[in-house]
Amino acid sequence: MRHGYASFLLAHCLRRFNGERMLAAVYHVFSGKKSAQTLQDSKWFQLEPLFGTWKNVTMAALEEAAMALVEQRLALSAKQRTYTLTAAGEEWLDKHAALFPRHLNGWRYHEAEPLFWQRLSLIGQTLSNLVHGRRFAPICRDERTLQWVKQYLLAKGSRQMLAKTLHQELVRLLEAVSEEAATIFTLRLTSAVRIGWTMEQIAAHLQKEALYVQFQFRNVLHYMMAEAEVGRAPMMAELMSGLAPAVLTQSAQKTYEWLRKGKTMEAIAEIRRLKRSTIEDHIVEIAANVPGFSIAPFVDDEKAAAIRAAAQALRTRKLKEIREALDGKVSYFEIRLVLAKEVGRWTS
Amino acid sequence: MDELTKTLYRRFGHASFRPGQREVVEDVLAGRDVLAMLPTGSGKSLCYQLPAYLLQGSVLIVSPLVSLMEDQVEQLRRRGEKRVIAFHSLLDAEEKWQALASLAEFRFIYASPEMLQSAKFLTALRRVCISLFVVDEAHCISQWGYDFRPDFLKLGEIRRALGAPPCLALTATAPPEVQEDIIRTLGMDGARRHIHSVDRPNIALCVEHCSSTEDKAARLVDYAKRLEGPGIIYFSSRQWAEETARRLDQCGAGRVAYYHAGMDGEQRLLVQQQFLYGQLDIVCCTSAFGMGVNKENVRFVLHFHMPTQLEAYVQEIGRAGRDGAPSLAVLFYADGDRAMVQAVAEAELLSPRELHNWCQRLPQGAGWEAAMAALEAPGFTDIQKRLLAYFLEREQREMPGWLTAEAKGRLYGRMAAAIEARRRWKRKKLQEMDEWVNLSSCRRQALVRAFGEELTGRRDVCCDRCGLSLDGYGRAVHRPEAAPVRHWREELWDMLFGEGRTNEAAK
Ligand SMILES: [Zn+2]
Repeated sequence: MRHGYASFLLAHCLRRFNGERMLAAVYHVFSGKKSAQTLQDSKWFQLEPLFGTWKNVTMAALEEAAMALVEQRLALSAKQRTYTLTAAGEEWLDKHAALFPRHLNGWRYHEAEPLFWQRLSLIGQTLSNLVHGRRFAPICRDERTLQWVKQYLLAKGSRQMLAKTLHQELVRLLEAVSEEAATIFTLRLTSAVRIGWTMEQIAAHLQKEALYVQFQFRNVLHYMMAEAEVGRAPMMAELMSGLAPAVLTQSAQKTYEWLRKGKTMEAIAEIRRLKRSTIEDHIVEIAANVPGFSIAPFVDDEKAAAIRAAAQALRTRKLKEIREALDGKVSYFEIRLVLAKEVGRWTS
Repeated sequence: MDELTKTLYRRFGHASFRPGQREVVEDVLAGRDVLAMLPTGSGKSLCYQLPAYLLQGSVLIVSPLVSLMEDQVEQLRRRGEKRVIAFHSLLDAEEKWQALASLAEFRFIYASPEMLQSAKFLTALRRVCISLFVVDEAHCISQWGYDFRPDFLKLGEIRRALGAPPCLALTATAPPEVQEDIIRTLGMDGARRHIHSVDRPNIALCVEHCSSTEDKAARLVDYAKRLEGPGIIYFSSRQWAEETARRLDQCGAGRVAYYHAGMDGEQRLLVQQQFLYGQLDIVCCTSAFGMGVNKENVRFVLHFHMPTQLEAYVQEIGRAGRDGAPSLAVLFYADGDRAMVQAVAEAELLSPRELHNWCQRLPQGAGWEAAMAALEAPGFTDIQKRLLAYFLEREQREMPGWLTAEAKGRLYGRMAAAIEARRRWKRKKLQEMDEWVNLSSCRRQALVRAFGEELTGRRDVCCDRCGLSLDGYGRAVHRPEAAPVRHWREELWDMLFGEGRTNEAAK
């Protein structure tokens, strides 16, 4: 690939944002910023897979990636720090679609992933050394994980059996991803015969970029976690115990509980000593995340239909444009609610 | 076999003591305060770990580095010791709240100096019978330690608060004035001193004077390619460490990786373990690498930039040749290095102007908490914050009350003076280092003199000034290739079923 993986990932975001967000919004999605704005952006523009998957991203790295796209005429800088893909850019992105890590689900797994990996790699290392009859220094220093793994192995009894189960499950899971992804994942593992490789070492070995390797690795982890959650990887499911992600942020969860008890927005704001706008953020988050949550109590059907029609006609999700089109008769809150609910039904 | 040796064998599996250990252990068991300066890699930790099995109660070990603490806890656990616990942050305290209630059950209690500032933790400790108060890397206690750790300066008070149990201060490198500081701060006036020479006879010393940075880089690469590994190369900047690692890798110098504090914890641990297990030949690193890396057979330590002082240099080259076999330390030097290293060393110090602006912005008439809070303003590095917080606390004790305009002016004056004193001291240390580099007489002699010793007798192999041939340090003609990576199925099979068995599934 000529343009670097950062450019590829950025191009993907630019396509989704369609010129409606600045580069900083891309930055917030990758770094997993827990603001109402970023959470909504991730939903509306269907960037959930990438949410929180590149924690140490820098604005400088994104700017460089954007420059590379512009230089190759794959993107244009419309306004300051806002970019859109050119026709050539669209084509280029389609051509390389296979490079997108298709199992990635940062929205759901970015928080659970580090602990899941720590457990998995430490169990792998421990079983390997038990099988080989060697002493070892654990490859993880996190006390929580050390304790957890110790308890887990004690509860499991036969090490040989467990090693066999782990082997079978890993082989089955890795067969479902690409050969390259399986190789990357395996090289990251530490055993009795080999300390795991760093991302950079794997990248050098495969002659790929470290960033690409990192995303491929994460892709495998997210796939394993998803398989665990649907019940197709029993051992991985055990490793996920206690890590299964919450759908809502904690604060929104509380608001949701009050709503279900029949409290009004005003009452909740009062009880929780929060600003009304914060409660509004929560309700938008709930609407976007809880299937079956009705927005009818907050926006009447006629208005909702008008907002939907305006958004479709204008082919935009810019709140301001929609509001102007409706002569300011609807509030931003109402527009955000309708759009949050509409996610997935139409895409550009 | 006497009782002590029996315990040594039973608990640690050693048939005899290493030089220096026995004397320290005996003094500790006799309940004396002890200052022990033993070279790194000489088994310093045994000096308190063995007594812990013979004394009643618990041993408290204060250690400056989380990674160091983790390594020691790990080693003890591997030997089957269950009664060991480590506290390194307030976060732990929450998690280990239950453990605090039953602290007396632990034989080894490790704690960072920051943890000891917690009143909750200290209260729990006071209910424990502490039979020995150990301070590891005790040179940090000195205000003039090269790694400024203000929380170390308060350890004397803490020891008193715990009923002044016998104290063992351990260090690898402490010149006489720092030794005095340690004894004074910890209040161990009648302490027995066991000072072992900083000289490591099996490490040959060499300085390469180069004409430019490019020349330096070229010669360093040349050395790294020719010398028998494994080896460590120190840099004062992350970029240089990374770039040189790549360069060495490309020119076939072997299996090379870099290591610095900018990497995430997992990648750092991987590199450290790879080096330990012989998967790497060379590590290009900053001074962040080395503490807790107990590798016996390091054959060379190179310095692309000189350290900021001789103490650091002695520590870093001391990671070579712990097995006693001939090893080599080479420092590369070019004009301009001194200025560069000085800039790195003084990065922790605010300029008078920055300090003045900061003081000016403090809210007039507020309390001292406001000044402490203002440290959290963005722009300060961690070490700058640590330094300023330390000075602030000191000033607060001296002049309690409110931050009036006058108090602010005085605060600025005193803090500026303190920073200036530290700057002068740093320059003096760098000057010392620089003089050593540009020495025309024996380097070994000068090195031990800096630590208040005299060299007795002549070494067969000494330094470039005494005449040094590098022939003995070259690479063996044949070096075994790195094990090739196999298909992931076979790798997984080897991992979980052991080598040597055929993998039916992969056929
Ligand atoms: Zn000499």
